[in-house]
Amino acid sequence: MKHYKWSDKGEGRKIGKIGNYCLYDKVITEESCEETNLSPDAKYYGAFKFVYGPSAGGLLESIKFDITTDGERILNINSIPYKIRKIKVTGLSWEDALLKIERINAPFSASHIIAFLLAIEDAMNIEQDYQTQLKRIALLELERIRNHLFVIARLTEAASLSVPTFHLLYLIEETNRLIGKLCGHRYFFGVNYINKVNCNFEKLFKILDIVKEFRLIFEGLLESRIFIDRLQQNGILRDRDSIGPAARAAGLEYDARLELNILPYKEIGFKIVKAEDADAFGRFLVRGYEIIESSKILIELTDIIKDNTNTEEYKAINDEGEGLARVESPSGDLAYYVKIKEGRVTSAQLLSPSYVNLKSFMKSVKGTIFTDFQFNWESFGIWISEIGVNLE
Amino acid sequence: MKNWWFLRGVRKGILTEKTPKDIAEWSTEIEGKGVVNCPTKAIENGKWIAERCIFCRRCYPNYKPNLNYEISIIKGTQKLFKKSFFIYPIDAGSCGGCNMEIKLISSPQYDMTRFGIFFTNTPRHADAIIVMGTLTEKMKEVIKEAYNAMPEPKLVVLLGTCAISGGILGEAIPLEASVLIPGCPPNPYTILDALIKVKGGKK
Repeated sequence: MKHYKWSDKGEGRKIGKIGNYCLYDKVITEESCEETNLSPDAKYYGAFKFVYGPSAGGLLESIKFDITTDGERILNINSIPYKIRKIKVTGLSWEDALLKIERINAPFSASHIIAFLLAIEDAMNIEQDYQTQLKRIALLELERIRNHLFVIARLTEAASLSVPTFHLLYLIEETNRLIGKLCGHRYFFGVNYINKVNCNFEKLFKILDIVKEFRLIFEGLLESRIFIDRLQQNGILRDRDSIGPAARAAGLEYDARLELNILPYKEIGFKIVKAEDADAFGRFLVRGYEIIESSKILIELTDIIKDNTNTEEYKAINDEGEGLARVESPSGDLAYYVKIKEGRVTSAQLLSPSYVNLKSFMKSVKGTIFTDFQFNWESFGIWISEIGVNLE
Repeated sequence: MKNWWFLRGVRKGILTEKTPKDIAEWSTEIEGKGVVNCPTKAIENGKWIAERCIFCRRCYPNYKPNLNYEISIIKGTQKLFKKSFFIYPIDAGSCGGCNMEIKLISSPQYDMTRFGIFFTNTPRHADAIIVMGTLTEKMKEVIKEAYNAMPEPKLVVLLGTCAISGGILGEAIPLEASVLIPGCPPNPYTILDALIKVKGGKK
């Protein structure tokens, strides 16, 4: 493995559980990756159980929450994802596995596919073409913008602010159309291959119009006390094991884009967005400013991505090996650890950001009240699709 | 005042589209000739079967999308819902793509409410249940309960290839549907077109 090494015990930042192993920022260990122990369901006088989900209008996906409450406060909570999909990739060629990997979670499909391909390339010792690396960054940043817009739209919807909600939905649709125009598919399905990205980035600069419009809505939201009051002091989480926007909202400078040299983010340069509040408002701020920061990366890429560059067909040095790669998905670290033999996947392990974020959410939600629940939940940007996956 | 949302909304004007714009190629009708190695057998004897297609491009360039988004299969309409049609989306085991696209038909570009289509938060108020994703074990009972909770007359809409045929990832939804909306995920225009048709309305 080019970017990681095996270690007896963890060193550096802990990312989370990946299959039977534990992933840190530069090493992978065989030690048990300790789960966060949620406190046991204590008995409270007058408390009763309230069930939210698994299928309800406020929830976008199927998950059930068992909430212990004494009226309004959330005293204890358990979550049970309701859609568990068994996805078999072992025994498949990387191309066949790709069809399944890109359907693990469509809103984060670029992150999943790119992390998986980087792991395969690592295992096969394939040197990536520089233009392919730049194009991959473009996909990841477009995905980040779309996702952050969606999270903010869900937050404004929870606050019943209809005008910004529909304005944000308009911008999400415009972003989807731009992605569709560049890559032929609104969720990047069927565009990524080993050492190849099948998109035409000529119109990439159009993202600037979308982000310009977003800025005005964002500034308006920052002045809206009705909105801000629902987010501030809601779901406070200061946890060194958190990832992505949840960690950056607590002032932790965690970002896979700058921690690893897998993709040339350092050459392009960008600023890590941080906040100090560690609450839903901090997570909202981080996402808002990241949209602006990602648009700067994309504008820089418009000058250096050359679509006419003939990407060379890949030349694999190994047809057997192990590879590990991590990317910064819109909600934090996403990693794949794969083993291949004779060009076929013999084992694949996934570390999904939503899995880590669900644990973070569960920690932050205790002691909050029902009316705050939706804001806190949406601020983590969790997708049950990728939590409920058993990769076989 | 930046947060005078009403004024901001008025200033933005009307964004709703009368005619379809900027449709992404993949998830529209596929046309072509020849034998191809299709992973879901969506092309058999040169015939394209929309219900099975995951739009993976394995058939390209022999087969190409032609931008026709009206690919839904209507098996029956219910004119009682012509004026107002309340839909309840339920996720059996999707990748999140169908969830996003069904949400986006409420965006200003599509504005589903102008056709009398609304989301409801409970199956008790629903005229149609929209099921997306492959059938997962735990959701079997939930779907059954939601379906039984709906008042008569009721419709079933299967959204996306996973729900219709299982696609590449699993099992289809075993409910008799009034409309099948193919796509991986389906285009919002396809979804809107299908919902208008099944409620017996006009575009």
